[in-house]
Amino acid sequence: MTPELEKTFASELEKNQSIIHKVCRSYTNNESAHKDLFQEITIQLWKAYPKFRGDSKFSTWMYRVAFNTAISLYRKSKRNVETTQIYDNLKELEYHDYDDSKDRQLSLLYKAIYSLNDIEKALALLYLEDKSYKEISETLGISEVNARVKMNRTKTKLKNILNP
Amino acid sequence: MEHLEKLKDVWKDQSESPIKFTEGDIYKMVHKRSSSVVKWILIISILEFVLPNIFILFTDFKSTKEVYDNYGLNNIMIFYTIIHVVIIFGFIYYFYKNYQKISADSSVKNLLHNILKTRRTVKNYIYYNLTIAAIIGLHVFYVVFNSDQFINKLPENTNMIMVWVIAIIIFTIVLFIFWCFYRIIYGFLLKKLKNNYADLQNNEYCT
Repeated sequence: MTPELEKTFASELEKNQSIIHKVCRSYTNNESAHKDLFQEITIQLWKAYPKFRGDSKFSTWMYRVAFNTAISLYRKSKRNVETTQIYDNLKELEYHDYDDSKDRQLSLLYKAIYSLNDIEKALALLYLEDKSYKEISETLGISEVNARVKMNRTKTKLKNILNP
Repeated sequence: MEHLEKLKDVWKDQSESPIKFTEGDIYKMVHKRSSSVVKWILIISILEFVLPNIFILFTDFKSTKEVYDNYGLNNIMIFYTIIHVVIIFGFIYYFYKNYQKISADSSVKNLLHNILKTRRTVKNYIYYNLTIAAIIGLHVFYVVFNSDQFINKLPENTNMIMVWVIAIIIFTIVLFIFWCFYRIIYGFLLKKLKNNYADLQNNEYCT
């Protein structure tokens, strides 16, 4: 693959990286694992990039590869398991200057999403991103009816975690 | 669910991630090596294809040939070797075809399905190896235990049923250890994927 293609890819990804960060923050519980997963998603995106023909939006395609990596391809390395504290400290530090109540709500929301199983995490993210059932069913590879059933269960579970 | 609807606004308004990468960082990441589960599946699968056959390289061909000649096993072993080689190539072909279908930009369910299918080929290969080892083993025992050379070496009044029982027990233990070892690797690699695939499969029948 040509250096120009690498440059285009890096620039495109740099602009859209917030999508991957949302997935990483939902599937990991510390900074080191977040970075590891981000790197693996980037590698998988790059491997799949030549096949990306623009049939779907770049962001939709990124979500698909990011979920696939988080759900199926990524293996947690041992050094990432017991370092939750670092991530929490980082969050406290970085978000301190922003609207405190919104930041707290967001932090709780991420914690709630993290407690869901892998498939529910994907459903929760797709719900929060306001994706249609058609898009959700295509991303996960299940029927729209099944996507609806699973989405309702996930929403109820999420609600119960947030308001026990 | 109203509360969740409100949280959508919080979600959409979220500021940039505290962790951020520059174009240069991403450029470097592209050149790093993947540590994905598929890579490990490929490495372990290749080892599983190769290892059972590597044992043959460490055998003493000359003395093995002598044993085969002594007990009249030559034709039987040529027959099994031909079948074995044909079947191995069949497995490698299926493994390669399935492996090619693994793509990170397919749907989540398809990707899980293709990874599990690829791995299932190797699982069947291991089961095939254990089965063929059992068949060849029993066949060889049968020929050897019925040969004059073997019977003449045994002490008088040896109970042949006991010889068979001991041989089969030892042989079964060896095969069982191989099987357990394989189950550990298989479970270690695929537990998460299997659970996620089962999660996606749930309720699919009602559509």
